[in-house]
Amino acid sequence: MHEMQVVKIKKIIKETKRIKTFILDLDVSAIPGQFVMVWLPGVDEKPMSVSYTKGDLGITVLRLGDFTRRLFELSPGDMLGIRGPMGRGFKVYGDKLLLVGGGVGVAPLAPLAEEALAEGKEVTAIIGAITKSELLFVDRIEKAGGRVLISTDDGSAGKKGFTTDVLRELLEEETFDQCFTCGPEIMMAKVLDITREKKIPTQASLHRYFKCGIGICGQCVLDGIGLRVCKEGPTFRDKELRKSPEFGRYWRNAAGQKIYFGGKK
Amino acid sequence: MLDVEFAGLKLNNPTVLASGILGTTGAALLRVARNGAGAVVAKSCGIVPREGHPNPTVIEIEQGILNAVGLSNPGVEEFAKEIKIALQGGVPVIASVYGFRVEDYAAAARILADAGVAAIELNLSCPNVEKVGALFGADAELALEVVREVKRAVSLPVFAKLTANVGDIVEIAKACEEGGADGVTAINTLKAMAIDIRAKTPLLGNKVGGLSGPCIKPIALRCVYEIAQEVDIPVMGCGGVTTGKDAVEYLMAGAQAVQIGTGVLTRGLSVFRKVALEIQEFLEERGYSCVDDIVGLALK
Repeated sequence: MHEMQVVKIKKIIKETKRIKTFILDLDVSAIPGQFVMVWLPGVDEKPMSVSYTKGDLGITVLRLGDFTRRLFELSPGDMLGIRGPMGRGFKVYGDKLLLVGGGVGVAPLAPLAEEALAEGKEVTAIIGAITKSELLFVDRIEKAGGRVLISTDDGSAGKKGFTTDVLRELLEEETFDQCFTCGPEIMMAKVLDITREKKIPTQASLHRYFKCGIGICGQCVLDGIGLRVCKEGPTFRDKELRKSPEFGRYWRNAAGQKIYFGGKK
Repeated sequence: MLDVEFAGLKLNNPTVLASGILGTTGAALLRVARNGAGAVVAKSCGIVPREGHPNPTVIEIEQGILNAVGLSNPGVEEFAKEIKIALQGGVPVIASVYGFRVEDYAAAARILADAGVAAIELNLSCPNVEKVGALFGADAELALEVVREVKRAVSLPVFAKLTANVGDIVEIAKACEEGGADGVTAINTLKAMAIDIRAKTPLLGNKVGGLSGPCIKPIALRCVYEIAQEVDIPVMGCGGVTTGKDAVEYLMAGAQAVQIGTGVLTRGLSVFRKVALEIQEFLEERGYSCVDDIVGLALK
């Protein structure tokens, strides 16, 4: 049973202008890729990837709408409701790993990199953001011993362009046992296309509008494959996602209406 | 051995997915059908899209769950497309409709009937949306009117899903029968709430909601037992069915099929197959040849 635990915020780290990490007074261990439901009493409850998985649990959040705006107003000592960690985390079996993260999507990849590097695995991370100051966890992954390749939309750091441009170039030179990706879904769909050509098994972490978070309301079930993002996900294998006409194309809002990524049908 | 006929619907076993659990899309309903449900009831749908309540909408508590999803749905036109996907599952798909006016029920039912559903279940009893719960399911005359209007609108079996948040559920069941209902589902969730003592506030976004799961079984069972003695139309038991034993209790109380909702949480999606097998084991051990043999045994 996933009981609601109301816990104190221990520490808040300003990662970028729009991204903050909240370290919670909650000593539970999570698998990178798992999520927690974060409750702001009287406001709303949303799923967030765990970005610190050992010791005090942490989440890393992009300020986007009303809920995250309210979250950003909190200070250390304030309380948050947490259910979880829940869902299926990333499964690592290879020795040479490639991570592709866009924007705040780097959040679940950073603990994955740290854990893999601590086990002696080789990690290359491609990290992308709109601009240099919005790059997330570059230092964190480098400090853990990982190699980081950067892309920015405006060219202010690394390659000007997208993570997928860096990925294409990299895979001309090198190969990897496994790839893990998290970020905008259109980016992840492209990552899967590229790694498929190179026959690199890939896991992607999906974001959907959640209601129950425990696999019973049906809100986040993926079309075509019937898998629940909150239960069988949020991380999925490439071969699962390829069978879903929904992946990379649309999601469902609170009413269950399809909303197409990029506004296109 | 497990085959049952419920108001003309042929089910390969008496387990039915309860409305509001997983039934929000065709893909989800299909998955439940493939996990052994004898029939599936889709999530309640209305004539226009509805976002429902803010989260938390579903909370686990001891022996059950509390929910206040708030009738979220994409609107009947959009939902009809999901129904068509669900039909590929090969088991009867029952649509659930709600409305704020009598004619809303009929309008939604008509469109879902055209989409190919096997029956319509009327949500007369949502406990967490004002007017839908209070108005229709708690007033015998209004309940009768909704049933009659929907029966006029469609030529399908129509079931009334009742609430126990009333003085006398039997009176409502009889009114539905009089209005032409082909069956009743008893019961919907019970109005309830939980408070987080650290946050000093109700847990559900809507503050109050509906309680389901093993904790409501004794109440639901009593309702089925009372209704089955007073009406001639079949009853679908709903409330806390998690095991074959639970299902057998409902059948003995007079239900001809059982709905499962919260059981998906405790025993996983295979709960339908598991419960069906457990019913079969019970029948075989005691020398019964079919489900009908035990229906209403406790009424005698």
